[in-house]
Amino acid sequence: MINLLSRTIMMGTPLLFGAIAEVIAERAGVMVTAIEGIFLMGAWAGFVGGYLSGSLTVGFISAILAGLLVAALYGWICIYLKQHQVVTGVAMNILTVGLSAFLYRVIFGVPITPLTVNPLATIPIPLLSQIPVIGQILFNQNILTYAIYLLAPLSYFMLYKTSVGLTIRSAGENPEAVDVAGINVLTVRFITVLLAGVMGGVAGAFYSIGFLGMFSTNIIGGRGWIAFAICFLGNWNPKGAVIGTLAFGFAEAIAIYMQSIGNNALFPNELFIAIPYIMTIILTVSRKSFSVPAKLGVPYIKEN
Amino acid sequence: MEAAFFELSGISKYFAKVIANKEVSFSIQRGEVLALLGENGAGKSTIMKILYGLYKADEGKIFKDGKEVKIHSPKEAMELGISMIQQHFSLVPAHTVTENIILGNVHGIIEQKFYQGEIKKLAERYNFDVDPNDFIRDLAVGVQQKVEILKALYQKANLLIMDEPTAVLTPQEAENLMHFVRDFTAQGNSVIFITHKLKEVMSVADRIIVMRAGKVCGDIKRDETDEIELSKLMIGKELNEIIQDDQQIKVDQEARLEINNVTVKGKTNVPSLNNISLTVHKGEILGIAGVSGNGQQELCEVVCGAILPTSGSILLDGEDITEREIRARIDLGIGYVPADRSRDGMIMDMSIAENMLLKSSYDGKWQKRGFIAKGRLNQYALQEIQEYSIKAPSPETIVHGLSGGNQQKVILAREVDNGDKLIVFDQPTRGLDLGAVNHIHQVILNERAKGKSILLVSTELSEIFALSDRIAVLYKGEIQGIFNRAELTTEKIGLLMAGFRVEEVSQDAC
Repeated sequence: MINLLSRTIMMGTPLLFGAIAEVIAERAGVMVTAIEGIFLMGAWAGFVGGYLSGSLTVGFISAILAGLLVAALYGWICIYLKQHQVVTGVAMNILTVGLSAFLYRVIFGVPITPLTVNPLATIPIPLLSQIPVIGQILFNQNILTYAIYLLAPLSYFMLYKTSVGLTIRSAGENPEAVDVAGINVLTVRFITVLLAGVMGGVAGAFYSIGFLGMFSTNIIGGRGWIAFAICFLGNWNPKGAVIGTLAFGFAEAIAIYMQSIGNNALFPNELFIAIPYIMTIILTVSRKSFSVPAKLGVPYIKEN
Repeated sequence: MEAAFFELSGISKYFAKVIANKEVSFSIQRGEVLALLGENGAGKSTIMKILYGLYKADEGKIFKDGKEVKIHSPKEAMELGISMIQQHFSLVPAHTVTENIILGNVHGIIEQKFYQGEIKKLAERYNFDVDPNDFIRDLAVGVQQKVEILKALYQKANLLIMDEPTAVLTPQEAENLMHFVRDFTAQGNSVIFITHKLKEVMSVADRIIVMRAGKVCGDIKRDETDEIELSKLMIGKELNEIIQDDQQIKVDQEARLEINNVTVKGKTNVPSLNNISLTVHKGEILGIAGVSGNGQQELCEVVCGAILPTSGSILLDGEDITEREIRARIDLGIGYVPADRSRDGMIMDMSIAENMLLKSSYDGKWQKRGFIAKGRLNQYALQEIQEYSIKAPSPETIVHGLSGGNQQKVILAREVDNGDKLIVFDQPTRGLDLGAVNHIHQVILNERAKGKSILLVSTELSEIFALSDRIAVLYKGEIQGIFNRAELTTEKIGLLMAGFRVEEVSQDAC
């Protein structure tokens, strides 16, 4: 059980990275529908950088750059060229599947056995990790998990307690108000999308070099979309995103656990994986009050 | 002579091929109230948006205290002490008063308590009854305007530009606003007032700039002019007085539309219409007065069938139509001209002919073996274009390219045809120029003369008084009273619109 909860936290880490990035961007009014593609290119670049240099740090830096690149392209098309966000995102997600497979083969050919790197090691925190139960679950994780412990409350604080957060939230609710206050709406939105690129890139690399130690084109397998759904489920709030992430992380941990003990007879694996999705639909339908940003998904077009 | 506080010199602005401003020059002194008067589309808002940095002028210069300044953005305008309150407020409904006011004016971590205190003090200084913790979405329009003003004051503006500020206010609220304007300018600040209401201009302005077709055509001191001269300058020809028709003394007493105890509950369970009872007789215009957002739209929609009442009944010629759907009501002869024509009235990317057919597309007369009978439809549309003098080259013209007045005429033509018995008008002349307003008023009176019943919702009191046989006042979803036109004065109706009851009003009036 302790193992399962520890796994939940670990598997939740990249999801929360993605979900918080999505929350911030959507609060500013932009749906980052390219999040799946950002994850995938992050995973790819993380692996390539890490494998070629032998350093995971280089891998993560490459992942950040790749995520930034995809996000910048997406932001440019959706924010500056004012194209449809869903259509653009879907197109870019399809593109990145082909692109990552192609570039992987260009660099490595078709290896007989999958290429691997050593994934991120866990770093037990002195003293804290000695606490019974909790120590094992919370404080025997890798560095990215510790990072998200800080990033989650920090993002909440930033959104709701600072002037930057107020500007971001206003840009998603009524961009005219931001414009009239003398702040460039497009810049605000673009920066939040770039931030989503950075965080999404790291999240993607978590799968390739943080956990599995290898890359394949289906490595993300819809987890970008899960981050997207968590943002929705969490009512566009980092607090809600944490809860949503735990639900999805737990489901994934159970699925992996079931697979590892080879118990497929009683409950098919897919059932556990499906539960959070079913939950999302039920919660969405049954929820009464949404705090969806009023201008979510609407490009800001200034008259004149 | 001392240099003007701000001076605009030879400003021109072109939108695509249209001239919005042509060599506009005028100045404003410190402590002065300047009124910018003109019809819709005269270029008043455009020139002010240039001064506020929202638009970029194609030609011309701006001076402050005699020195040339460049204003490329609202931020730069604010640094020069200019603040502008748009006609459509730029507030964030989901945020508090405080959050709205400090947006863009603070850095780093927000000390809520500190700013709330500051704003409270500022509000008290100007006698504004505004709670810094309230959410904008919960505030009445008049209060929201005060928040906008506080925003400007918070930024230490000393030139305040207001675009049609009284359009959304009751007469009493408007009077309070004028008090503020005098108070504010007495301290050496300046105010520019964009308006098309002559009365307001005469009561508050020190000097008046009249604009027509993008140009300045008058720069006059208030004391040296009168309303007649101003209206001539504004329109460019003699004002074609809207004939205030004699009230029909003998209204046909046969009831056409009866609304009995109708209540409509909104999402929040606060009724948007509360136990409303009304009767519109044959050949009668019933005017509905009130500040917008007090249940007018719900009233229109409940009559047309777009929403169903929570309780109560609606009868047309004695027949119960409470549960009938929209299409059945169209067939029975109810026409509806909605307030927001681009959202509820027409499809902007379709042609005039297609929009004409929109509400009766199922009707056999438009069909030919299952297809649209194009020829018949175009012929009909052409006829309507001529009858309503819609300025458009052909029935195939896309309505998007028409002016607001011509778009409204397209809807009018359609709904007059649909509404054999009853036509509901919701703000039929909002945002239109005087020529179009006149035309539409004429149509309404003509239809009444044919014996149709008219339900006329308007926030313009002049319109209500000019057309209605009887007037009902709506406040927070309730009827404050129904009166014959002659029984009401502007003052009395203003109090009713502000929520006073009939008894209180008659006491006050005595």
